[in-house]
Amino acid sequence: MKNLFSDKKTIALLSVPSIAIIGFAILAPLVVSLYFSFMEWSGFGAATFIGMDNYRQLVLHDGTFYRALINTFLLMLVTIFLQNPFAFVIAAILTKLKDATSRFLRTIYFIPATLSLVVVTKLWVSIFNPSYGFLNKLLQGIGFQNMQIAWLSNPKTALGSVIWIMVWQGFGWALLFYYSGLMTVPKELEEAAKVDGANKYQLYTKIIVPYMLPVIQSVIVIDVISSLKQMEMVYLSTEGGPGDLTQFIAVYLYQKAFRYSEYGYGNAISVIFVILAVFLTIFIQRIFRERSAGKKRVGA
Amino acid sequence: MYRKIGLFALMLILATTVVFAQGAKESGEGETVVLRMGDNIPDRSTGWGAVIEKINKEFIEMHPEVEITTESYQDQAWQEKVKIYATANQLPDVMKYWSFSTLLQPLVDGKFVEPLNMDTFKQYGYMAGSLEGNVYDGELYGIPVSADLWVIYVNKALFEKAGVPLPESWEDIVASVPKFKAQGIIPMVTDGKDGWPLCEMFDNIQQRISGSFQPVADAIDRKARYTDDNFLQTARYIQNLVKAGVFQSDLVTSDYGASRNLFGQERAAMYMMGSWEMGLATDPNFSDSFRENLDVIEFPVVEGGKGNSNDLLAWFGGNYIVNAKSEHKDLALEYLEYYAKVFPAYAWETQATFPAQKVDARENDTIVAKKLLDIAADAKTTSGTPGLDRSTAAFKETHQDLMRRLMSNIITPEAFVAELDAAAEKAAK
Repeated sequence: MKNLFSDKKTIALLSVPSIAIIGFAILAPLVVSLYFSFMEWSGFGAATFIGMDNYRQLVLHDGTFYRALINTFLLMLVTIFLQNPFAFVIAAILTKLKDATSRFLRTIYFIPATLSLVVVTKLWVSIFNPSYGFLNKLLQGIGFQNMQIAWLSNPKTALGSVIWIMVWQGFGWALLFYYSGLMTVPKELEEAAKVDGANKYQLYTKIIVPYMLPVIQSVIVIDVISSLKQMEMVYLSTEGGPGDLTQFIAVYLYQKAFRYSEYGYGNAISVIFVILAVFLTIFIQRIFRERSAGKKRVGA
Repeated sequence: MYRKIGLFALMLILATTVVFAQGAKESGEGETVVLRMGDNIPDRSTGWGAVIEKINKEFIEMHPEVEITTESYQDQAWQEKVKIYATANQLPDVMKYWSFSTLLQPLVDGKFVEPLNMDTFKQYGYMAGSLEGNVYDGELYGIPVSADLWVIYVNKALFEKAGVPLPESWEDIVASVPKFKAQGIIPMVTDGKDGWPLCEMFDNIQQRISGSFQPVADAIDRKARYTDDNFLQTARYIQNLVKAGVFQSDLVTSDYGASRNLFGQERAAMYMMGSWEMGLATDPNFSDSFRENLDVIEFPVVEGGKGNSNDLLAWFGGNYIVNAKSEHKDLALEYLEYYAKVFPAYAWETQATFPAQKVDARENDTIVAKKLLDIAADAKTTSGTPGLDRSTAAFKETHQDLMRRLMSNIITPEAFVAELDAAAEKAAK
């Protein structure tokens, strides 16, 4: 067996399927996308090579692209700095509750994550509807008679409403990760910290959070990726409007390619999009690696 | 170990072969010919969708070996789907589409559409100019299916409830807003999310102000500018309509179905849409009281403007085309001819839509159908293809996007006309 797996031919043979899959499913589309990003092409007929024009237009003149970037980063910040801490706190509380209560609440919190994106989006579009939506009716019911806010159409509330829908659905996943992570923290660690006189704040900040760092890292990477590729919810609720106030990169890319019939431009967005996603993922992993290396050095 | 790996590889190959062989068997074994169709009419039980299903059924009875599969989406989704199908060379055999240069021309240029014989279709009573709208480089590429008139549907009961007479001008509508709102009624709804109805309104208000549809065509052809005063006035006028509360408050996120339902469920007094919605008068999904109180009026005038109510924004948009690369092209062409032959009678009989072919008025036509016939007959001038569909796909999208911005009050009328003009300039190059 050992001889078999040290045989280079066998290794090469066994690597072929995975390399083929990576090549055809990941690298080939990227190369094709890169190729078309240098073209002016409507999707039909011949494509014209235009060099860096698409990138020049995108980087130097396209305000909507930057709006989409800002919105994407805003969503990332909200998920990382608001959704995550909140999910962590709720998960920590759940670990201290009785089993039955905890199980019941976990189920409740996780329900949005089990629903399809279409259902969740349509549900909230209905809730936000200014004419018959539950939210306006509720506000009117508690005394705000003049409340007739078009939550998804009003420039002041549209982005907040869209981000709320995303956070509402994503919360269950973050909670699940943190709850599972917290359940793996050894009781001895907590007890030892208590014996050493640590209070609850110190217990969490000095012991539990550092212990949970790999879980936090995973959740943040997932949040960043899901923020970047956010598409369906925006498409089904506002399609980036009003104007481009709720525009996100993936929706903008799709609209440019399939509505404006500017496939070359859409591909240029997708290339930038991939570079950005790779860069952010590496950046986050490096931050966590350095932190974890620092901790190890301190520990050593 | 090598034997085990070899055995595993063999099993993998066998499994793959079985899976693919199974697929080949299913598609090749039977004698059934599957004719793939597609359109923008998801409701197959009433109105236009039911008419198509009836035609399909009759065609299958004539050709028992044929099976028809149809996929339907709303307009925008269908247009995007067609682009994707065309890129992948997988267009349906026969499909409903649009004759506009923004949509049909790219397919024609890409040789995806089968040329048709003009003489064959001329005999089916098409209105003057309707077949010609589907001609590119001297060849007929589609058959028109509807005559599209831009009108306002009204619910007379809601007007009575609010104590408001039917409007003749947009100023009448603005004056009626407080009365409607006092009764909890939305004055007017339309599909703002897709944007194109807002563009139709832009062209129409422009005509009501300037007295002519020509400036739109001139601006596209660069003989005029969108920054000209008539367009700026139009943009200001439309933004003021929004500020006056004429439309539903979620206009720019309210799609076709949502706005149609608000009207059909008697939450809104007016519905700005095309004549293809004449089937509302017979739609069993809505209440009897709605259907009994449904009426239609001409697009109102602008007080002080030069346009009249009998200047009609009208065009022949929807069409049917055949995939030039279809494996069943002859059958698809035969279907198309059968469709051309029976559609006007069936569509009028069920009052499903306003066909592009001549129809005979009947005693029991709905009020809406009779009024639409009158509106068409009384028209002094007509617009032809709307502005957004006279240029490129990118111009169309920009126009729609700008209209949404204008009507969300996040762009000034001055900036709106400047950006629209820049888009027209870019498209003309």
